[in-house]
Amino acid sequence: MSPDFLYFIETVLNGLMSGVMYSLVALGFVLIFKASGIFNFAQGVMALFAALTLVGLLTGQVPFAHLIHAIFGVEAQHWGAGMPALLAVIGTMVVMIALAFLIERIVLKHLVNQEPIILFMATIGLAYFLEGLGDLMWGSDVKALDIGVPSGGSFWWEDVTREWAAEGSDYFGMYIDKLDVTAAIVAAVLVVALSVFSQYTRMGRALRAVADDHQAALSVGISLRTIWVIVWSIAGFVALVAGIMWGSKSGVQFSLSLIALKALPVLILGGFTSIPGAIVGGLIIGVGEKLAELYIGPLVGGAIENWFAYVVALVFLLYRPQGLFGDKIIERI
Amino acid sequence: MLYREAGDFKTSYRADQQTFPIRSERILFWAFIVAAFAVVPFFINDYWEKSVLIPFLVWSMAALGLNILVGYCGQVSLGTGGFMAVGAYAAYKLMTAFPEMNILLVIVLSGGVTAVVGMAFGLPSLRIKGFYLAVATLAAQFFLVWVFNKFPWFYNYSASGQITAPERLLFGVPVTGPNSPPWATYLVALTVVFVFAWIGKNLTRGRIGRQWMAIRDMDIAAEIIGVEPLRAKISAFAVSSFYIGIAGAMYFTIWFGAVEPTEAFGINQSFRALFMVIIGGLGSILGSFLGAGFLVLLPVLLKNLMVGQLGWATDIASHFEIMIVGALIIFFLIVEPHGLAQLWRLTKEKLRLWPFPH
Amino acid sequence: MSLVETLPASQRDILLKVDNISLSFGGVKAITNISFDIRVGEIRAIIGPNGAGKTSMLNVINGFYHPQEGTITFEGVPRPRMRPHHAATHGVARTFQNIALFRGMSTLDNIMTGRGTLMKRNLLWQALWTGPAEREEIEHREAVEKIIDFLEIQHIRKTPVGRLPYGLQKRVELGRALAAEPRLLLLDEPMAGMNREEKEDMSRFILDVNSQFGTTIALIEHDMGVVMDLSDRVVVLDYGKKIGDGTPDEVRANQDVIDAYLGVPHE
Ligand SMILES: Nc1ncnc2c1ncn2[C@@H]1O[C@H](COP(=O)(O)OP(=O)(O)O)[C@@H](O)[C@H]1O
Ligand SMILES: [Mg+2]
Repeated sequence: MSPDFLYFIETVLNGLMSGVMYSLVALGFVLIFKASGIFNFAQGVMALFAALTLVGLLTGQVPFAHLIHAIFGVEAQHWGAGMPALLAVIGTMVVMIALAFLIERIVLKHLVNQEPIILFMATIGLAYFLEGLGDLMWGSDVKALDIGVPSGGSFWWEDVTREWAAEGSDYFGMYIDKLDVTAAIVAAVLVVALSVFSQYTRMGRALRAVADDHQAALSVGISLRTIWVIVWSIAGFVALVAGIMWGSKSGVQFSLSLIALKALPVLILGGFTSIPGAIVGGLIIGVGEKLAELYIGPLVGGAIENWFAYVVALVFLLYRPQGLFGDKIIERI
Repeated sequence: MLYREAGDFKTSYRADQQTFPIRSERILFWAFIVAAFAVVPFFINDYWEKSVLIPFLVWSMAALGLNILVGYCGQVSLGTGGFMAVGAYAAYKLMTAFPEMNILLVIVLSGGVTAVVGMAFGLPSLRIKGFYLAVATLAAQFFLVWVFNKFPWFYNYSASGQITAPERLLFGVPVTGPNSPPWATYLVALTVVFVFAWIGKNLTRGRIGRQWMAIRDMDIAAEIIGVEPLRAKISAFAVSSFYIGIAGAMYFTIWFGAVEPTEAFGINQSFRALFMVIIGGLGSILGSFLGAGFLVLLPVLLKNLMVGQLGWATDIASHFEIMIVGALIIFFLIVEPHGLAQLWRLTKEKLRLWPFPH
Repeated sequence: MSLVETLPASQRDILLKVDNISLSFGGVKAITNISFDIRVGEIRAIIGPNGAGKTSMLNVINGFYHPQEGTITFEGVPRPRMRPHHAATHGVARTFQNIALFRGMSTLDNIMTGRGTLMKRNLLWQALWTGPAEREEIEHREAVEKIIDFLEIQHIRKTPVGRLPYGLQKRVELGRALAAEPRLLLLDEPMAGMNREEKEDMSRFILDVNSQFGTTIALIEHDMGVVMDLSDRVVVLDYGKKIGDGTPDEVRANQDVIDAYLGVPHE
């Protein structure tokens, strides 16, 4: 194989990997959208918030340390050596569930019959609030997150691929980050788990019923409000997973919440209600971005990853306003 | 005797269509305007200019523009930052290519350039609706900022990648550049905003405004009763981007004087403008001002309180700021979706009836 | 009965003619090969059970749906495929089965919006307001005030329509359609969900519109009493097909129509 072709394969593989990351965030969107018709803009910030909390627990940070210092003059950054990873993850999950509960109580309950666009804007407000809260609780510096997810390039894969190159060409093998591979596996497991959950458990069936018809859900015997809390908790869990992956990869920092913006074009391709759609959409965007950067980037000066996904989504919408997997929209009056 | 309608009967449709139908309200408004034009310039200093009044005026302009699109025509846009960038870079290119050009003309032409760009990015709205459209406008946001970063022609190949506004005079007084006196920049911004607020009022109270609102409230029915969606939507995009472009031009020329696209016109500015419109009141000219005033003043107040009075670190204050802004957005959407403008209207109605509540 | 009775209905000019119209959505056939005409100045009722295709027929007439087959001739001219707003500018106005008012706007603004097709001042004049734009606005406001008087809704002129009771909303919607001074007015169940008294008011308005302004009206209505009182001729649809056409008396005697309304199962 020629090195050029191998570069192509490497780009596609890397694209698929980063696509999986987008899919992880998009998945959280889809869950909430399906169950409540809410387009949750705060999903990315939830991932950030989860990651911040996790780091805080791992390292034994005192929440609101800066604020406490400012008000009481007490200097208390840490309360101990921190928690073991598993305990910290569980602790973070508890926080995310509490958050889901509060969001339902304080926000959603009051906006039940509002138009989708109003709810959308409310979640933008929520995103801001959580961002401020996260910073205030845990500080806004960039933090490393290490809970033992393998990372770094895979030498084994490098060796294997070097063999593939044509004899005599100076090809040094493909670079693939172990972290990306882990993320892909985790995402796959997550999707399977969610499918099993929604197919085979009573709660899962109720959730699907809500997506189709609110009345039907009531007849299953679970109140709408409980369902919302559960859905937001699951979305919180997905956010935590995404937060761990992204955080391990590039540190826990504000830019993490911006991946939510990247998830939007993914959703447009995949449709807002389809879990496979979110996965496929994420992969398309991931691969498309990397290939575009490789082949079109040099022609126009590079860094087109910033907008490529949105333009793809835009062009795509013009042809299919309902997305890849959505039903054709027929308007009636 | 504030807000008394007694004896204030309308005898013609013209009188009935006035912006301020109640006499005392009219008087109050004009007193306010006279004070803004004739009193404030004598007392303004650097701090009030750069931290309060110019930011308020520039953001009011942007909020006006966005409100026309979102509040009146119902097309949600997250591209405000990108369109402000177009206005700023158009102003820069015009100023450097035509050094003799009057600065007011530069500002207005920059709006014109932005209007054209806005129309192009508005075309998808004919097929895409709701938050699908909001996502599509993100393409404009990121693409435009990228363009101004990537192509050196836009920043005249300057080494820093920044653009810097050269000094321009108006009636012999510098209004851009470091030597411009606060009262001069303030008066320029005030004049521009005043004129375009008036134009905005005119546009929204007539046929075009009604067509925008018809599209917003029920687009299919609007089309069936004769509103052409293409014209209504594209004109809303054009007018809106025109205003936002002017805001961007003023942001660059008379407020900051030097900008760099990624920070100055990032996605956060788009959200900021959107928040102003929501907090102030969707579909309200007055609301655009109230929202802009609120979000400009809030950080100033918080900073004065927390940093100045309590002696906290500035980053704590700014974290509080985003938290409060986020909470307020939710609060307004829940309690008063029509924003501050509606609260003002309700207060007025109470005043009008006072002291007899029924 | 309509008051434009210089000529019997059967001899007046044909305003609108639909020929062999068929319309389907995916697999669902909403309209199958329907032809009928509407004459100048008449009130033409379209009746039929739910799902018969009546609303779809109106949607075809004003260009919202595009039939797969058939032609439409309006005022003697075969009409090409057109967008709804073109139909509106060519004199077709409409009310809707489910109220489709602009909820954020006042009664006055809703009706003024209906006059949009008659207003000419462009964006620049509007921006200036003072002068031509304001004069035009006042001119049209006067016309709209006449409609408001006619429909007896002066007291709700400035009320946001979202706050009005159902019956009044229906009336405002009629006002919005009338504001366009249409030559053909399509009314989709204008009396659905109204009580006796409201129905009588609405019937009176429809008759007055027809007689005072000479407007031709196509009317979808379920209340047979109302249909018999108001209409000059009736076309009956069932399952997307035309099963009857004629004067109210003829239609009432038609066996197919009786079967359809009694729910005789189709073979
Ligand atoms: N936009 C549409 N998409 C799919 N089916 C439609 C649409 N509009 C109408 N139909 C179908 O066409 C048939 C006729 O509907 P309609 O014209 O509304 O009946 P009517 O007004 O006589 O009650 C129904 O079966 C309806 O479901
Ligand atoms: Mg119908």
